[in-house]
Amino acid sequence: MAAERPTFSPLWHRVRAMTPRLRPHCQITRQHYRGRRWHIVHDPTSNQFYRLSPIAHEFVAMLDGRRTVEEAWNLTLQAHGDAAPTQPEVLELVGQMYNSNLLSVDTTPETEQLLRRGRERLKRRVQQQAIGIMYLKLRLFNPDRFLAWLEPILRPILNRWGFLAWAAFVLWAMYRVLPRWDELAAQFRTATDPSNWVWLGVVFVIIKAIHETGHGVICKRFGGQVPEFGAMLLVLLPAPYVDASATWAFPGKWQRIAVGAGGMIFELFVAGIAAHVWLAAYTPGIASGFTAQLAFNAMLTASVSTVLFNANPLMRFDGYYILSDLLEVPNLMSRSMKMLQYLSQRYLFVLRDARPPTTDPGEAWTLVIYGVAAGVYRVFLFFAITLYVMGKLFAIGLVLALWTAAAWFILPAGKLVHWLATGPQIAEHRGRTIGITAGAAALLLVVFGAVPVPEHRRAGGVVESVHRSGVFFGAEGFVIAVHKGVGDRVEAGEPILTCDNPELRFRLATARADLAESVSLEQQFTTTNPAGAQVAREAIKFRREVIAAVQERLDRLVVRAPHAGVLVEGASGVDPRTLVGAYARQGQGICDVVDTASTRVVSTLDTALALPLYELGAGGYSVDVRPVSQPDLLIHGRTARLIPGAQRRLPHAALGYAGGGDVATDPQDRQGTTAARAQTYLYVEGLEPEAGATWLGAPGERVSLRFALPSRPLLSQWIDRLRRLIQGRADV
Amino acid sequence: MTQAVTRYTALYESLRSRRRRAEVPKGLDRIVAAATLAARDRGITLPWLRAEAAAIDAMAPEIRSHSEGALDQVISDLRDAFIRSRHSGARDYPTLRRALAVVREVARRETGEEPFPVQLMAALAMYHGRVVQMFTGEGKTLTGSLVAPLLAWRRRHVHVFTVNDYLARRDAQSRAGLYARCLCGVGAIQQDMGERERFGVYALPIIYGTPKQITADWLRDQIRLGRQTTAWGGRQAMSLAADPGVEGAGAGPMIPGLRAALVDEADAVLIDEGVVPLIIARARRADEMGAVYLRAASIAAQLDEGPDYSIDHVRRQAELRARGRHRAEGLLRAAPEPIFRARRRAEELIRLALVARHCYRKGHQYQAVDGRVVIVDEYTGRFLPDRSWEHGLHQSVEAKEGLDVTADRETLARMSFQRFFRSYPFLCGMTGTVADAAPELRRVYARKIVEVPTHRPLIRVQMPTRFFRSAEAKWAGVVDSIGEMHRAGRPVLVGTRSIESSEQVSRRLEARGIAHRVLNANFDKEEAELIAGAGRRGAITVATNMAGRGTDIKLDDGARDAGGLHIVLTEMHTAKRIDRQFIGRAGRQGDPGSAQTFVSLEDELVRLNTPGLAAWVRRAIRDEELPWSRRLAGLFRLAQRRAEARARRNRAAVLRQDDWIEKNLPG
Repeated sequence: MAAERPTFSPLWHRVRAMTPRLRPHCQITRQHYRGRRWHIVHDPTSNQFYRLSPIAHEFVAMLDGRRTVEEAWNLTLQAHGDAAPTQPEVLELVGQMYNSNLLSVDTTPETEQLLRRGRERLKRRVQQQAIGIMYLKLRLFNPDRFLAWLEPILRPILNRWGFLAWAAFVLWAMYRVLPRWDELAAQFRTATDPSNWVWLGVVFVIIKAIHETGHGVICKRFGGQVPEFGAMLLVLLPAPYVDASATWAFPGKWQRIAVGAGGMIFELFVAGIAAHVWLAAYTPGIASGFTAQLAFNAMLTASVSTVLFNANPLMRFDGYYILSDLLEVPNLMSRSMKMLQYLSQRYLFVLRDARPPTTDPGEAWTLVIYGVAAGVYRVFLFFAITLYVMGKLFAIGLVLALWTAAAWFILPAGKLVHWLATGPQIAEHRGRTIGITAGAAALLLVVFGAVPVPEHRRAGGVVESVHRSGVFFGAEGFVIAVHKGVGDRVEAGEPILTCDNPELRFRLATARADLAESVSLEQQFTTTNPAGAQVAREAIKFRREVIAAVQERLDRLVVRAPHAGVLVEGASGVDPRTLVGAYARQGQGICDVVDTASTRVVSTLDTALALPLYELGAGGYSVDVRPVSQPDLLIHGRTARLIPGAQRRLPHAALGYAGGGDVATDPQDRQGTTAARAQTYLYVEGLEPEAGATWLGAPGERVSLRFALPSRPLLSQWIDRLRRLIQGRADV
Repeated sequence: MTQAVTRYTALYESLRSRRRRAEVPKGLDRIVAAATLAARDRGITLPWLRAEAAAIDAMAPEIRSHSEGALDQVISDLRDAFIRSRHSGARDYPTLRRALAVVREVARRETGEEPFPVQLMAALAMYHGRVVQMFTGEGKTLTGSLVAPLLAWRRRHVHVFTVNDYLARRDAQSRAGLYARCLCGVGAIQQDMGERERFGVYALPIIYGTPKQITADWLRDQIRLGRQTTAWGGRQAMSLAADPGVEGAGAGPMIPGLRAALVDEADAVLIDEGVVPLIIARARRADEMGAVYLRAASIAAQLDEGPDYSIDHVRRQAELRARGRHRAEGLLRAAPEPIFRARRRAEELIRLALVARHCYRKGHQYQAVDGRVVIVDEYTGRFLPDRSWEHGLHQSVEAKEGLDVTADRETLARMSFQRFFRSYPFLCGMTGTVADAAPELRRVYARKIVEVPTHRPLIRVQMPTRFFRSAEAKWAGVVDSIGEMHRAGRPVLVGTRSIESSEQVSRRLEARGIAHRVLNANFDKEEAELIAGAGRRGAITVATNMAGRGTDIKLDDGARDAGGLHIVLTEMHTAKRIDRQFIGRAGRQGDPGSAQTFVSLEDELVRLNTPGLAAWVRRAIRDEELPWSRRLAGLFRLAQRRAEARARRNRAAVLRQDDWIEKNLPG
């Protein structure tokens, strides 16, 4: 350990005789982090900060313009022995503080050096700006006079009691608004209508300006200067900001947190007012008025955006600074990254000289957890934002995606390569380090590029029936028994219900009696009266026919299933079970039988999705169907037909955007049955619900399809998806 | 009055040079800088140089016909044209062509040597700020003297850097006629010069000197200026208004600004020695540290390598293990010196003593002379009598040798050549061996290299390297080989890496009764005489790197007939370039010559840089001498590459540190 802290520096002579002093207007405040004291040097004119350990502070405090650096160092050395800063540490301290204009030196400052420093600062700012193109910053004005006017007005309520009143107000608004969830949801649908976007934007900017004022006022309340108010182009939307960095020098942790939370406090207050306005202005059922809409906009931006962005500690907004102060870990983000860097250097690359940014185990864990979370979130955010923007404005989204990818992923990768090639720490083990990196990269490549992973594609579909017939009464009569009801499965010819018709039975009996009579007459006349016998024979034939006819009508009193299937309600919408005792007219419809074996699902697919299915053939993949109304129900099926195509007509309106489906429809078509682009038709048949479950695909029912393609490596899946995205968007 | 103005101008120029804080560009800036450099210099190509040289050559008859008076008139006109171009900065090619032709003619008339077209090419390239690679013996001195007057005209002063004082004096004297004719005064800075004399020399247009002398003078100016950055402040600091008659005080800076530098052996000066800082120090008040260092040395002697500590010979660092730390603490308990109470400082002292004990060897890094430890320059093999290692290392070495421990010295100023040469707005150079340093020259100094073809073909024979298993066998082989060459009547120059090994070779030769002479730092008084004799038939000279560069060994007829000078290199250096420099002593100016390298698997080079591999080969083989094979050559080349890479990294680190300092510290 000690080997890395040599006492002497060969460059000591550069500072030894110097008699610097802390610039007189610099302010020093104490702060405590995790029980340890730190001193923050703050230059209010340039807004530069420098954090000193107690011993370093003691050293700096001794620099009064008369004492030389060496004298001060010797005094520190006498007082603290081994804990005192070493010569290289003093050099770095003096250099950095001088470079931040916190120290003035006994010589005339050198113009070139000053100019160069200014140029570098500008360059750094431009570089940061270039990397964070998502957050382009424009400086507007100095809000100090405004805040100096506003702060005294608000001062009486900027305290604990004001906070409690605020909390009560916000909770009350929530209590009133949240129960009317359905109406909120209805209003939300109108809010997302494109006609509202402009107003949403206007409200957003105003609310964020109030938010920033909140930071400013509270910062001012605790004595900080707020020198800058500006706007940041946050994903193309101007978001105001203030420079409240004076907060960093506040001695109290809760003061700093209050400034951090100030924006959200003001914003949620506005949200509360807006909630009350909305409640007053919104009338259910009627198309909402402009006031209600604006109030809702305000409520939405002031609450949702606040919770999603400002309070989110994983992005560098308010939540981050609040968390940083709460955890008492300054520079949370950069030190987390350093911590992760250290861990990988120490344990992956086995570099013994790697030094952690902290030695406090609690802080180390905090840094690791935060670092991992922020990294994961960053990846998530990248995909979410860029894909969203690409969906809306493809070209801009693409530029944004490339830029952000360059800044967040390619640049760090480049830095890693640069480090591997030239990093002085690994000079002695460059080969090994490169080997480990290559190994890790190869491992990732194998995991993503060679290990097959199941692949799924989704599409929407609609149930269609191929074989469905009505069940009708075959004869007049009264229903006396019902054997099957709606939902029951029937075999072909199985009785569904039985009717009774006494008249028919009587007519059968009569006919039978007539037949018996004719038979006996015939026997009688056979030998005596051949002509009579002939007549009788004719009569027998006739009577037999009558009997058969009546018998047939009697048979029809038992209503049977025309084919196998499941009973469903027919056009009349009645269940046979309710018909007992009813009078049935012949030909009256009872219910329908649906042949489940022949229900099918029709779906339309984009060419990009259809292509792999087409190439694989029906046997190459499996399809699962889930009804939208019953997502838990899994139904197996198989693709019967795939009609690749030039069809733009949708088989069902429910597949299109207008019908709630996910196929883009031609805006010209009022019916919503013409797709914007050519679609491939896909029919899924042989629908078989999972064991134990029944499902009757009612025609027109919406389902979702999930195609399980053969497993293949994630990398090739992603590339495919990206290609699809670009193909899909580029030809719009 | 005039004197005061001159002094004030000198002060102003000195401060201006000091404010030039050349920085090595990083990141994107580096690409931009490289592109700018390429664009600026795209015209200066070898074919262009050749065409220009031909055009200049064609002017010769016309200029040769000028009478002496007419020539003087032409020179005066040309000089005025160059002075006028100082401010316009324009490149006037016809004038330049004519000027070179005229200077060439002057060289012919004044020194009797007429430069060849290749030398014109080299001069032209240097005038455009190139580092020129010319093989040794191609007349670099002459080439330099062609371009120096032009640079002096154009840039007021030019500093010509030579390898040693002797060469500076010799060249300045031998060229004085030429320069005088070109209306340029010339002087050489010598080690034993007084301050007043130096003032006089630096005021001249052409100044010869070694990098050490001139850098040290520059540093002394800086110390006197203190941290002043403005001419007004500097005026007061130097009390310019005071009586100028007093030595030192009120005299203003010695060097009136850094204008142009022409560096001989540019690769060695700019690259190899580029990071060795030149330090001006003064002894601190006598302190009681002597006993402390002796105590630390005695404790270091009691600890055992392995269980107590480990030594990193490459980085020259020692690390105490737990046992060693414990034992040291026990031993220190009895120490009366209070400094040992501070744990970290005590440990640091013991580590220092261990490093002094194991990494610094007498006859290699230093020599004990008259009861003092004198550093031996790693690159030139010469003593550095007024230098000392910093931060107690020197004292630790003295303690280890049992000598009187001198007082710790306090650094007043410090500058690496790398930084110094970057302060020149114009830099050009010559060298025999620079090609593999090209990327570094380009990056650090923004200089490109031009490889000028040889005037006479090189006929030196490179004999295959001989590999030995042990150092013992190697020395025997070396001595055999020397004897063989000696019998053939050829002069032999034996190159060794340290004073100690030169003496070892000498002992072995003595044992065989072979007459020879030794050239190392111990015998530096006889240097000139030794070099003069080294080219005689049958002469054997055993030398350290002192003979490595800037030495011109002239052959006598007998030696040339016997096959010329034969070089025996007894060890490979840490950079291939240094090997080549030494080998370059043979085969000069079309002379015959040959060279052979002897290496063993026990050499420091492979022991430090490829320890595992070398040990494995040593165990795997049984023969004392191994036939040349690609793999063995590869092993040694690998070790050398690693050493080169390490040196490059060190230089990069120093560069970074320099840049950081310049950026962050005032003054």
